[in-house]
Order: sequence, then structure tokens, then C-alpha cells
Amino acid sequence: MSSRRLPRLLQAPAVILLLFWMLVPLGMTLFFSFIRYVLASLNRPEWTTPSIDNWRGFGNYAFVLDSKDFLFAIQNSLLIVGGILFLTVFFGVMIAVLINKVFPGQGIVRVLLISPFFIMPAVNAVLWINMILDPVLGLNGLAIEGINSVIASMRDAPVVGWFFSLWPEFKPISFRATQTSAYAVIMMVTWQWTPFAVLIFMTSLQSEDEQQKEAAILDGAGKWSQFRFLTLPHLARPMAIVVMIQAIFHLSLYAEIEIVSRGNGNKNLPYLIGEFANNNIGAASATGIFAVILANIVAIFLLRAVGKTLME
Amino acid sequence: MGQIVLKDVVKKFGDTEVIPPLNLTIEEGEFAVFVGPSGCGKSTLLRLIAGLEDTTEGQVLIDGEDMTEVSPSKRGLAMVFQSYALYPHMTVRKNIAFPMRMAGMSEDEQNIRIEAAAKSLNLTDYLDRKPGQLSGGQRQRVAIGRAIVREPSAFLFDEPLSNLDAALRVGMRLEISEMHKRLKTTMIYVTHDQVEAMTMADRIVVLQAGVIEQVGTPLELYHSPRNKFVAGFIGSPKMNLLEGAEAQKHKAHTIGIRPEHIKVSTKAVKGAWKGTVGVAEHLGSDTFIHIHGVEGCDPMTVRAAGDVAVKHGDKVYLTPEKSQIHKFDEAGLRI
Ligand SMILES: Nc1ncnc2c1ncn2[C@@H]1O[C@H](COP(=O)(O)OP(=O)(O)OP(=O)(O)O)[C@@H](O)[C@H]1O
Ligand SMILES: [Mg+2]
Repeated sequence: MSSRRLPRLLQAPAVILLLFWMLVPLGMTLFFSFIRYVLASLNRPEWTTPSIDNWRGFGNYAFVLDSKDFLFAIQNSLLIVGGILFLTVFFGVMIAVLINKVFPGQGIVRVLLISPFFIMPAVNAVLWINMILDPVLGLNGLAIEGINSVIASMRDAPVVGWFFSLWPEFKPISFRATQTSAYAVIMMVTWQWTPFAVLIFMTSLQSEDEQQKEAAILDGAGKWSQFRFLTLPHLARPMAIVVMIQAIFHLSLYAEIEIVSRGNGNKNLPYLIGEFANNNIGAASATGIFAVILANIVAIFLLRAVGKTLME
Repeated sequence: MGQIVLKDVVKKFGDTEVIPPLNLTIEEGEFAVFVGPSGCGKSTLLRLIAGLEDTTEGQVLIDGEDMTEVSPSKRGLAMVFQSYALYPHMTVRKNIAFPMRMAGMSEDEQNIRIEAAAKSLNLTDYLDRKPGQLSGGQRQRVAIGRAIVREPSAFLFDEPLSNLDAALRVGMRLEISEMHKRLKTTMIYVTHDQVEAMTMADRIVVLQAGVIEQVGTPLELYHSPRNKFVAGFIGSPKMNLLEGAEAQKHKAHTIGIRPEHIKVSTKAVKGAWKGTVGVAEHLGSDTFIHIHGVEGCDPMTVRAAGDVAVKHGDKVYLTPEKSQIHKFDEAGLRI
């Protein structure tokens, strides 16, 4: 008996610590989500302290569900995560396959490719929204201006001038304060996280079996067939890993959304939580519970779709 | 169909010349085996024929056509690799179907060929498994199946059995030999294994450092090796090579005598070589005796039929069969 008790006793502190680590915040969130709890209230000062007396039942949940931004936030969460996942995996595979070939300067190119990953998310967002996507001062504005001036000069050209005079003047896209701000977030996070995907795919490509390729060449497979039937299935597992890890990270994006548009036209669940938390802790907690549920649904969905390749 | 001719083929990797100009003709329907020490260029030669490596100089002709610049898949050859090189994400059926799929063959035709190949290779029950769920022998059979369905004009094997255990090797050896008898397709087979080379080959090509030392039927190589290298390389245990006084008696620089052509006796024999037993390996059917103290060759190996009762330290007398002595000159060439 004692031979089993001693190891358990020794494990206990770690287990208990972990339990507290998880259960205390989750328990507090759950508790707050069922009571009225605000940071400041002139009319009802008793709501400013968390207490069981302020029990509200599912009132906070109903309030959140009714708020106009809730469905929009869920939609946007999924749009942003889905968009980033698709783009990072797509570009990750393309770039990894491209730089897997031996070429001069390979080492430097690889280091440069990895570097976006080491930039802080907030800095990344500031750089993108101001220097690249800004409709006046950014690359976006400059490029459109350039195109417009080229078209304008072509209008006077002989023979083809009439064709260009049919063209309208292009307008730069504004990435702030409208639905396009979600696309801005997708772009900047894709830029930042593609290196992560490249890194993982690259290591995987290096373990690809050369003889399999040679066998496929002899079997009459061209470059595309080799990619389609050998490389892509070989990358299934790392793709699963990239998708899982990124899904977890990007469901909780915050800094980029804050910097791009302060939530105007583009909120996800964490951002909504942040907005509620300015005053209404009860509603923020209820949103938090919704976020946990959404994360679990996404995780189950991903595990189903992707886990099979991992388990093989 | 399936005559393969190598014409002055040279292969260099950078500055190192792995294969100096080499000429070789493999006849239609022939089972040719390449043997040679590790690193002598057997695999390189096979890959040159397959087109997986480019020749530095010279030509590869298949059925009289210059294939030197033709892409591997258009040469009509199939290769079986040592590591099997199966496609791990596809079932056995898909693996075997792959070359046909790439050739754009109809599903019906594919299925007919798959079933036939699976039947002849005992794979019918495994068609829906993935390679990871098969044993080594089964995997190699899938690799062979994938080669067969293409109906190539020649098969190239690069040490296909060396990852298998001894018992399985014997079985697969017979299967491949039978396949050759049945299909009558040209086969080129690279191996390290003496027994595989001797039993399967119509002709053996002995290579050393990219140079062909001798080409001949197994028995030709056994009975009349062209030089000391081939004499030492073909046959197991190795031929004993003696230099010095004993060789002078036969007016040769070196003489060679195979272990199985020496009589061993524990009683004194007139004119025999004297020696002391070092190690005696009793295999039941044969006894390999390693003998020290024979002038010009130490240790000398003798292969005696049956179980010979000798032990370490015994004095023995050795009499070679006169007719089986091979003589070589200073350059190592047969006299
Ligand atoms: N890609 C390459 N680059 C440079 N040298 C190579 C390359 N491939 C093979 N070699 C060299 O060519 C020589 C022949 O190699 P090869 O693989 O043909 O030998 P092998 O006879 O098949 O040996 P083994 O019996 O061990 O398989 C070796 O010395 C090897 O180092
Ligand atoms: Mg080899």
C-alpha cells in the first residue's frame, strides 16, 4: 500500500498546482458569467463587487447572444482563422518546395524567410497598416497612384490610346474601419506565420525518400505528378501540425485587430471580450465561455479532419 | 525486345571518374548479374542504363536505339530498388497501378493487370493494405509487381533481396528466377551475394573500380577466371592464391587452387603441403579448415566434404588436384 502512496504523494504538488492553474481561472470565469458584475456603476454600486447575491442566471449569456456584434464576431473569428490557415499552408508548401532545391545563397534565403516570425505581432501590424496597406502613404496608395499615372500617360499614346481611355481611374483600397480590415489582418498574420509553415514543411521535405522519387520518375510521373502523389501526401502530417497549432493561436488574435481598426468593422471573440471587459465583466466572462466552446468545436472539427493523418 | 548495349560509356562525378570507358552488350532475354566489391560502380551502371544518371560520355542503346538523351520513363525499363521505394500513402493496389495510371491506361486494363500480377506474386489478399502493413518480403513483391505491370523491355534490380533475411532470400531468389523463365524478359541484377550471382545468372559481369574484369557464364568464371581478381572474387570460400617457390614449380608467378580442390589428410603423404589447423568450421555437410604454415599462402582454406575430424593444432597434409590448379602471370592474368 505504502509503495503506491509515496509516489502519489510526491506527484501531488504538481497535480494540484496544475489543477489550480486550470480550474481557478475557468471556475472564476464561469462564476462571473452567472452574476451581475461591472467595474463602475453609479446606480447600482452593489454590482461592482462579485457576489453570489447578484446572481443573474443565464442573463449574461442572453445579453451577449442578443448583442449585435456577437454573431459577427464568431463569423469573423472563423473567417480570419480559416483565411490564415489556407494561405499559410498554401504559401508554406509553395515556398518550401521552391527553396528545397539546392541553389547558391540558399542559407541566407532561408534565414531571411524565417525572419518575419521574429517580429512582434504589434510591430508587424503597425508596419503593415501604415507602410504597406495605407491608401495614401503606403505601398497600396503608391502602387495605385503609379498604375493610374501609367494609364493616364497611355491614353495619349497612338493606336492603343483609345483602349486605355476606356479604363477607369483605380482607387486604392482602404483597409481600416470596414470589412476589409479583416483582410488586412489575414494578410499581415499570413505574412508573419508563413515562415513557421515553411520551416516545418522544409524539414519534412528533407526527409522525403529520394528513391521513391526515382521510382516515380521511372514510372512515368512528371514533376506535377511527383508533387501531387508523393510530396503532398508526405506533407499531410506536417500540414496537420501547422493547422492545429495555428488554429489555436489565431482564435485569440488581438493586437492586429486593435491596431488595424480598433475593432471597427472587424471583431473576433477575444476582441469582443476586451470590449465588454471595459466595464461589464459578467458579459465578458460569458463571451469567454462562448469562446471556449467555439475553440472546442474548432478543435473537435480539426481533430476529426486532420487527426486521422496524425494517427496513421 | 530488350537488348541493351553500353558503348564507350564514361561516368564522372565532378573530377572523379567512377566508370572509365566501358563497353557491354546484354542480349535480349538474358539474365545478367553485376557483381563486384562495394563502391565499384554497379549501382551507378544500373542507374546509367535506367537514365537516372546522365552519361558523361558514350551511348546507351536499347534495342538498337540510342536512348542516351531519352528520359527514364520513355526507356521502357523497370527498376526494383533495394529499399523497395514503394509509395507509402498508397495501397498496394494503387502502388501497382501507379505506372499504368501515369501512362493513362484504362481502369479495366489496369485491373486486369493488377489481378494477374497480384496472383502471380501471392499478393491478392494484401491489395488493400498500405506498404507499412506488409513484411519485407511482401513489400519487395509489391515492388516487383509494380515493375511487371509495365511490361518493360528489361528489368533492373539493385540488390533487391539484401534487406531480407536468409530464408526469405532463398525463396525470393527462386521466385525471380522463375519469373525470368516465364517472362523471358531481359534482367539486370546487381548483388553482393555469391550464391545469387551463381544460381540466377545466365552471364555474370565482374566489375572492379568501374572496369569490367570478366564477363561469362557462372561456370566459365568458376573454371577459368581471366585473372587473379575474378579468381578470388568468384567462389566461396575464396580461392587460395600461392606465390613464390610453389608457383615457380608450375612456371607461374601465382597459382590458385580452390578450397574444394584440395585433399586433406592427417597421415603423411609424399609431396604434400604441410600445415597446422587453425580453425575448423564444421557445417555438417562440409568442413572449412583454415590451415597455417603452408609456404606462400597463409592461411590456406580447405573445403572437405562431410565432417572431417580435425581440431586446432593438428598437423595435416594437403594435396591439390593437379588439373584444377589455375596459373597466373606477373600481371595477374591467367596463363
Ligand atoms: N552522386 C554521387 N556523387 C559522387 N560520387 C558518387 C555518387 N554516387 C556514387 N558515387 C561514387 O561512385 C562510386 C560507385 O558507387 P556505386 O553506388 O555505383 O557503387 P556500388 O558498386 O553500387 O556499391 P555498393 O555495392 O556498396 O552498393 C563510389 O565510389 C561512390 O562513392
Ligand atoms: Mg549499390
